Amino acid sequence: MKASSFRYLVDQGFKGIWKNRMMTFASFCILLVSLLMVGISVLTAINLNRIIGGIEDKSEVVVIVKDEATAEQKTELEKQLKSIPNVNTIELYTKEEAWENMLESMTDEEKDFFRYADDNPLPDTYKLTVNDIEIMSDTTTQIETFENVESTQSPTAFADILINIRRIFTVVAFAIILALVVVSLIIISNTTRASVFARRKEINIMKYVGATNAFIRIPFFVEGMIVGVAAALCALLLTRFAYEGIYNIFSDNFNIWSILGMQKLYSFNDLLLPVTLSYLVAGALIGAIGTSISTGKHLKV
Amino acid sequence: MVEFKDVSVTYNSSGVDALNKVNLKINDGDFAFVVGPSGAGKSTLIKLVLKEIDATSGTVIVNGFNLKKLRRGKIPALRRTIGVVFQDFRLIPTMTVYENVAFVLRVIDAPAKYIRSRVPYVISLVGLSEKAKCYPTELSGGEQQRVALARALVNDPQLIIADEPTGNIDPALSYEIVELLKGINECGTTILMVTHEHDLVRYFGGRIININKGSIDFDEVIGGSSNESK
Repeated sequence: MKASSFRYLVDQGFKGIWKNRMMTFASFCILLVSLLMVGISVLTAINLNRIIGGIEDKSEVVVIVKDEATAEQKTELEKQLKSIPNVNTIELYTKEEAWENMLESMTDEEKDFFRYADDNPLPDTYKLTVNDIEIMSDTTTQIETFENVESTQSPTAFADILINIRRIFTVVAFAIILALVVVSLIIISNTTRASVFARRKEINIMKYVGATNAFIRIPFFVEGMIVGVAAALCALLLTRFAYEGIYNIFSDNFNIWSILGMQKLYSFNDLLLPVTLSYLVAGALIGAIGTSISTGKHLKV
Repeated sequence: MVEFKDVSVTYNSSGVDALNKVNLKINDGDFAFVVGPSGAGKSTLIKLVLKEIDATSGTVIVNGFNLKKLRRGKIPALRRTIGVVFQDFRLIPTMTVYENVAFVLRVIDAPAKYIRSRVPYVISLVGLSEKAKCYPTELSGGEQQRVALARALVNDPQLIIADEPTGNIDPALSYEIVELLKGINECGTTILMVTHEHDLVRYFGGRIININKGSIDFDEVIGGSSNESK
């Protein structure tokens, strides 16, 4: 196809928007609502995942070292712990530090009582964070087999709850997003079908004079794509407005959330590029594909 | 050239035999009237030539294309060798006369320069130069049909099919349209004109193909009264 012909077809696409402005507006509104619903669902999913991830990161495994372990044995144990792939960070919490911290939390009378104690009864401990909370219990089981490990403490029950929440949430979010995309495609396809139906005679004539299917489809495709991009830009502005409102509310009360181990939400600027691209690509594709589906029926002449 | 060899068409939905072992040959440069009562098979014949439908049996060859073997993707190539004029004009209402005619050349990817020179020329041939910027709704029936004729003619097709081109216009204008078609034919284009108007056929004469109940029962050249009066 020559560049001049392509320009002509693109130009026809633009003209089609004005000629069919009512249907175009209907498509625009439906696409906007669909994109907003999908976009908000995805952003909610991303942030909930981050919140759950934040709580997971705070889940520690405490390894209690045997009291009789020598310095070399402790070094050896640390090496062993570091060699476990699921272990993310290791922090030694010495019995002295533990003793000091314990004294600090006591009243003066209690302190006096313990200050004269002969021996520090607290053990050395390692505090570990793990990469994958789902295999935390396997990791603790493995650690318990190491020499010089007295015992371990890990919030496996809590981890299981988080794992289940994350799984359920991932499935539900995916199902909702998929359903919304399918519904958007169907609605857009039906809306543009009415627009295409109004122009079926035009398509029919094109076929009789020897137009290829691509030649007929391109203007509709362009039209759908432009409507999709316009809806995407509008959805982006609305999403930004709504997201920043929610972000500010969350940030203002972050102290409360942080107690629960939650992380901050992503700022909109962090997500601007992926959100913009996703909206534009999704809008253009849904608009263009939805229109193409409706055009196809009238091409069989 | 259009050639039908033992062509039969049976519509699956109704089981009706629309054409029954039709043999027909229209040579390059011929002008043929196709006549016959409603339901005789005239429209089926045209649909076959345009490959809107396929023959149930037999072979159809149009402008060198064997339609039985023609793949769907090649149908546009066939149709670019044919100009079609419909009874209801079928102009695109949102395009001007110029755009309606130029549209065909755009479809075949003709150079812009050629479109700019060819379209006004063809519009002048049908006598509508002054109305090139008008929309179809601003034209009379006869004028709309002349636009349709210009559209059928603009890409210089080997064959023009005129399906009841005078059916929606005044009788007086009908003669004008056929005169135009005759003029085009004299330049070498094959014309296949389907009509119900026997007066028109008697007046112009030429090759008459009469279809009845799916078969050709008359295919001969007759003299027209227009020739006698000359």
